[in-house]
Amino acid sequence: MNADNPIISIQNVHKFFGTFKALDDVSLTVDAGQKVVVIGPSGSGKSTLLRTINRLETISSGTIVVDGQDINAPSSDINLIRAEVGMVFQSFNLFRHKSVLDNLTLAPIKLKKEPRLEAERRAMELLEKVGMVDKAESYPVQLSGGQQQRVAIARALAMNPKIMLFDEPTSALDPEMIGEVLDVMVTLAREGMTMVVVTHEMGFAREVADSVVFMDEGKIVEIAPPNRFFDHPAHTRTQRFLEQIL
Amino acid sequence: MIDKRIVIDVGDGAAIPDPRDKGLFTAWRISFFGTLGIIAYLLIFKTDPYLDIIKFLPDGIVVTFKVTFASIGLALVLGLIAGLGRISKNTFFNLAASTYIEVVRGIPLLVQLFYIYFALGHLVRVPDMVAAIIAMGFCYGAYMGEVFRAGILSIDDGQTEASLSLGFNRSQAMRYVVLPQAWRTILPPVGNEFIALLKDTSLVSILAVSDILRRGREFASESFLYFETYTMIALVYLVITLILSKILSNVEHRLNHYERR
Ligand SMILES: Nc1ncnc2c1ncn2[C@@H]1O[C@H](COP(=O)(O)OP(=O)(O)OP(=O)(O)O)[C@@H](O)[C@H]1O
Ligand SMILES: [Mg+2]
Repeated sequence: MNADNPIISIQNVHKFFGTFKALDDVSLTVDAGQKVVVIGPSGSGKSTLLRTINRLETISSGTIVVDGQDINAPSSDINLIRAEVGMVFQSFNLFRHKSVLDNLTLAPIKLKKEPRLEAERRAMELLEKVGMVDKAESYPVQLSGGQQQRVAIARALAMNPKIMLFDEPTSALDPEMIGEVLDVMVTLAREGMTMVVVTHEMGFAREVADSVVFMDEGKIVEIAPPNRFFDHPAHTRTQRFLEQIL
Repeated sequence: MIDKRIVIDVGDGAAIPDPRDKGLFTAWRISFFGTLGIIAYLLIFKTDPYLDIIKFLPDGIVVTFKVTFASIGLALVLGLIAGLGRISKNTFFNLAASTYIEVVRGIPLLVQLFYIYFALGHLVRVPDMVAAIIAMGFCYGAYMGEVFRAGILSIDDGQTEASLSLGFNRSQAMRYVVLPQAWRTILPPVGNEFIALLKDTSLVSILAVSDILRRGREFASESFLYFETYTMIALVYLVITLILSKILSNVEHRLNHYERR
């Protein structure tokens, strides 16, 4: 991988909510095609970090460069950058007033001016990929959590993003539905998608991650490949956290 | 976040009937068919003068509806702007909207009607009906603003965030995702406001607009049949508002339908 030219470069980022420091001098680079898993205790800043990458949170200081563009520079068009960065939320956030198919086609039709037929053809391909073709005409309320999350992944992919961000995509799911969502994510990873995933699914981290990031109190404590991270964590805080969750 | 406070909503519109109410004797049916029965009785057994009175009213009914629809249209536009203003982070826009709402809510509608009507008369020469519509729309727009604000805030932030993450800007997210969903929350109170507005258009009769009430007053002052005329006017208003509340409840029911499994 071309380490000189990372697709995401986060440098010395601080983020305050009022006087509370949610991110404390965070630096992280992600190369194209890399899969990074972020773990850490509740309130450690994992979501905040993820959300700064597509500027759902604006940072207080530091720089974030995504695909060559400083996303906080006045000259860059954040909407264009966001279209290249897909995001999957813990609570799915499917558009409740739209059918599954329309959830997938809304952004391509309105933003990329794709013809409806073309957008729908592509949407059906993506639904095929996540195993949701037979629910194309359903509404989100009619789907289980696992199904909604698979549709949400397909919706993000419909914009052909270069990067996918996942914020605890399986935390809101009943245990029996976690597997179907992880399977989709593993497939996506195999296809070479650049992924940053906040998750507590350690099996997924071991199987898919190129590196695992451990956060605590707004800081990145440790970054390591999964084998070393899980088997020989360098920091005592990481060790304690792993003991608690494994 | 869902606001868990209990809201006691005493609308000033007619009560909206619940379509699931399957009993034979519902309040709506008793009122509606009772009213029709009384009108029929009066027309058949007291043909003179009630037939003359009712024949005098249709022009007024048309005017009442024209004023109502035009005013509600204006109120919806102003309400949307005011509602967006109230949730805007732009200080100027936010303050302007809040001030508009505060001022309008603090002055009796009748006083506003007079005020806008005569103030407008000083500036431009507009037909009476247009002045009345502007005044009604301006006033109801403030109430609509609060309805829109509440409707928009009832939609989970996640919907906006998902839209933004796909590349929509804030106004596109509002237009394509938030408002179409907020509409379902907004519709019942808008329906109430609509009926309330229809009744309040009776106030424009003092502004030389020939609505139902003014037509009635004209008839009464020539015939001296005050009691009979106002009886018929009350019955006509009642029939109209009852029909409207029924239509609204059916529309609402249909919109809610897909939300259930
Ligand atoms: N909008 C906000 N306003 C104020 N404080 C916030 C806001 N968002 C997050 N925080 C605070 O910032 C800290 C980090 O939050 P964040 O959501 O990033 O944690 P997390 O690691 O994702 O936790 P979890 O595992 O519970 O999701 C928390 O203490 C949280 O209370
Ligand atoms: Mg989180």
